[in-house]
Amino acid sequence: MTVASATSPRAGGGYLQRPGGGSLAEVVDIILDKGLVIDAYVRVSLIGIEILTIDARIVIASVDTYLRFAEAVNRLDLQAADDSQGLPELMESVTSGGAKSKTQGAIEGVKEKLGIGEDDDEDREKEQASRSRRRSSSRSRSRKDDDE
Amino acid sequence: MTDGRRAIYVYGVVLASDRTLIQAKGVGREETGVRRIPQNGIAALVSDLSTDALMAARDLRAHWSVLEEAAARTTVLPVRFGTVMESDEAVVDDFLAPNAERLAAVLAELDGKVQLSIKGFYDEELLLRQLLEETPEIARMRERVRALPEAASYYERIRLGELVAAEIDRHRASDADLVLGRLEPLAVAAKAEPPTTKDAALNTAFLVRRDRVDAFSDAVKRLAGELGDRVQIRYVGPLPPYSFADDGATLASGTWA
Repeated sequence: MTVASATSPRAGGGYLQRPGGGSLAEVVDIILDKGLVIDAYVRVSLIGIEILTIDARIVIASVDTYLRFAEAVNRLDLQAADDSQGLPELMESVTSGGAKSKTQGAIEGVKEKLGIGEDDDEDREKEQASRSRRRSSSRSRSRKDDDE
Repeated sequence: MTDGRRAIYVYGVVLASDRTLIQAKGVGREETGVRRIPQNGIAALVSDLSTDALMAARDLRAHWSVLEEAAARTTVLPVRFGTVMESDEAVVDDFLAPNAERLAAVLAELDGKVQLSIKGFYDEELLLRQLLEETPEIARMRERVRALPEAASYYERIRLGELVAAEIDRHRASDADLVLGRLEPLAVAAKAEPPTTKDAALNTAFLVRRDRVDAFSDAVKRLAGELGDRVQIRYVGPLPPYSFADDGATLASGTWA
């Protein structure tokens, strides 16, 4: 799975030329919320699939927010304490009362659920390689199509 | 579905004339190959499934790999994750045949186009600092709140929060205008999607002709440079036209999500 090729690195400001395809975390809201729905009467229901889908949606939706708050909070630690006072309440709720460790837990939970994590770097490299092959072949293909 | 029974997992719909081969392994423990079931000019992309239940993590990945690969090569209408039908005959009789005309029309309309999605997120701290500088009333109110004990500043704090929220909305609107202004001319269509998080600046899907993708990407890059650290841009694609294959119409034996 390619992750974050779409993401401009937070600090560097470097930006990739091409859109990053397919990071599951980037597109999970689209995958789960959209797409053609076939009438329930003609579908086979699979045990647990609805529950798992809902589960994945909730946990994934929270992760981005958690990560950003965690990052914002980390940055604030380096600054004078009074600088943080103007920040909204949500920030406070992240910093106070052990919410930080809860965040950590939730993120780990997602990684487990979606199988993102330890094996991902390896996956990513493999995917990157096959992706660039795929991309170039799809580009030449689309050019061919346009010529027709 | 009962143990060991065979069923058909449905990924999406392409034109029957489309011969693109999908390499990605299908959903399910057996990782069967993706094949097509043609009917009336369209074809469903499916794979065989004979396990008792799906696993969200692994199968969401598999589902996405198939659609991502398909979208990179051809025009595919995606079917909602987790859609399984009884048999090939059921796919034809209950899904393809009753909807063939309509699905073929949508496919023809979207042919040669892909979805590119852009999400923007504010750097919260930078944004708040900017608001303090731009809006004297927010700065004044902040000073007043800070001078008062917490219990005494309840209404002032609410007012301060309201001012901040209103200013953030104003920034959202103007940033959305900026992004649309730059990118819409390069796209066939654009559609604003609901923001996914509180710090989201924008979330917009663009339908772009394949031969304009490079030009579009260059424009996104310039735009990201212009927005700088203030708005972090995430750019994803090519995706199946999820946001444009969707017009709220009801199909026979099926509805658009």
